Amino acid sequence: MSNVITANNLTLGYENDEEIIKDANFSIKKGDFVFITGPSGSGKSTLLKSFYGNLSPQEGSLVVGGLDMIDIKKNKLQELRSHLGIVFQDYKLINEWTVEKNVVLPLWISGYSAEVQSTQAKRLLHHVKLSGKEEKYPMELSGGEQQRVGVARALAKNPFLILADEPTGNLDEYSSNVIWDLMENACHQLDTTVVVVTHRIPMVFNIPYRHFTIDENGSVYEIH
Amino acid sequence: MKFIKTHISLIFPLVAILLGLEFFIVFDRTTDSFEKSLQNGYSMMIVSKDEMSIDDFKAWDEHIEKVEELEKSKILERLKMTESSKQKSFEASLPNFYSLKLDGYLTLEELESVKNNLKKSNNILTIESFQSSYQSKYELFSFIKSAFQTFIFFMSIIGFFLIVKQMEVWNFLHAQRMKVMEIFGASLFLRSKILINMALIDAIISAIITSGVFYFIQNAWVRGSQIEILKENVDRMFTYSDLFILLFASIFVVMIAVFLVVINVKEE
Repeated sequence: MSNVITANNLTLGYENDEEIIKDANFSIKKGDFVFITGPSGSGKSTLLKSFYGNLSPQEGSLVVGGLDMIDIKKNKLQELRSHLGIVFQDYKLINEWTVEKNVVLPLWISGYSAEVQSTQAKRLLHHVKLSGKEEKYPMELSGGEQQRVGVARALAKNPFLILADEPTGNLDEYSSNVIWDLMENACHQLDTTVVVVTHRIPMVFNIPYRHFTIDENGSVYEIH
Repeated sequence: MKFIKTHISLIFPLVAILLGLEFFIVFDRTTDSFEKSLQNGYSMMIVSKDEMSIDDFKAWDEHIEKVEELEKSKILERLKMTESSKQKSFEASLPNFYSLKLDGYLTLEELESVKNNLKKSNNILTIESFQSSYQSKYELFSFIKSAFQTFIFFMSIIGFFLIVKQMEVWNFLHAQRMKVMEIFGASLFLRSKILINMALIDAIISAIITSGVFYFIQNAWVRGSQIEILKENVDRMFTYSDLFILLFASIFVVMIAVFLVVINVKEE
């Protein structure tokens, strides 16, 4: 199976700051479900950011979806991002847009027709158990509901890679279960690669997964 | 109500800038024609020993545009010297009189310099520049011109600062959306599309308001005015091409503002 993400001697850090991820070597294949864990400040989110080009490698190489992430051109990065599904701990919804408009954002960016957008929004909101809330605004929803909107948005364009940063961090059990079910299904049924940064791997998980961990020194290991 | 609230904060400073621009254009047009009439009404009187051509005068100063010789017989007529024999001998002994027109409405320094250059000629006996009349007109004209330009300048500065303030508001209102859109792969144009649309509407409204103000001034006030300079230029006060100038300027200003906001939104 082809690699979706390949890191060779990957070193990451912020400008004028010490290295956060050091010399990481790993590959993630199509259809893998990967959990990345580690203590606070170990660089889990930093590693995830590098996968969608928010942070450029300082040393080594990182290839995502066949694209070299070092000095990647703007248009290539936009193209890559339009095929990713990204979920954030703080949801990053657009507050002045309705739930439906938020969900179809990736489709709107890619120029899909209003009809396709509307159909897809209804389908996804049904999956995340938010049917009937299409016209609500994010601030009118609970944290768990907002995160489910975020997950629906990430799934809107059937991405080849879903990146999730603490998707269930502050959520109730019901919302957490809905989100894990959706991600399991995306991986199992659609062969989507899913990379989740989390503090805690869920107790019950129904599909095989890989587990990477980052230690205090910024070294990335796979736990078998 | 929400529409008005969203748009008025940009329309107000834009109208201030556009009013400044249109005032400048109108002022430039009207003062230009006034300047020409002052220039046409002014001439310098020269008395010379021998006859001089335009080239002779130009050799002393380039600002001399036109030379008109005053006929000696007409001068004698004015002096009521009608007896033919006396007139002829007197006419022969008279020097030559010229009226000089200049190529523009010169500053007092430039006028003095023309005079000094002509004085260098041994052939020229007398130069009358009517400087005191020229000076009073020139100083009044310069004062009005600079007062108006200062007013326009400050109006534009206020408009500029209000737009900078509006850019900060835009940044606050639109940055979150643009950052999220960037993460999901939206191009720069797509990210700024909402802001561009809003700014374009405001630019069009502002240009129409400013044109309306000047159309009103032109038709409801200037046409009935007793101010000569305005009455003479009433049709030049506002032309339809001004609407396009204002529209272009307005769009130019808002697009720069939008561009500066958009490029300052950095992904977290």
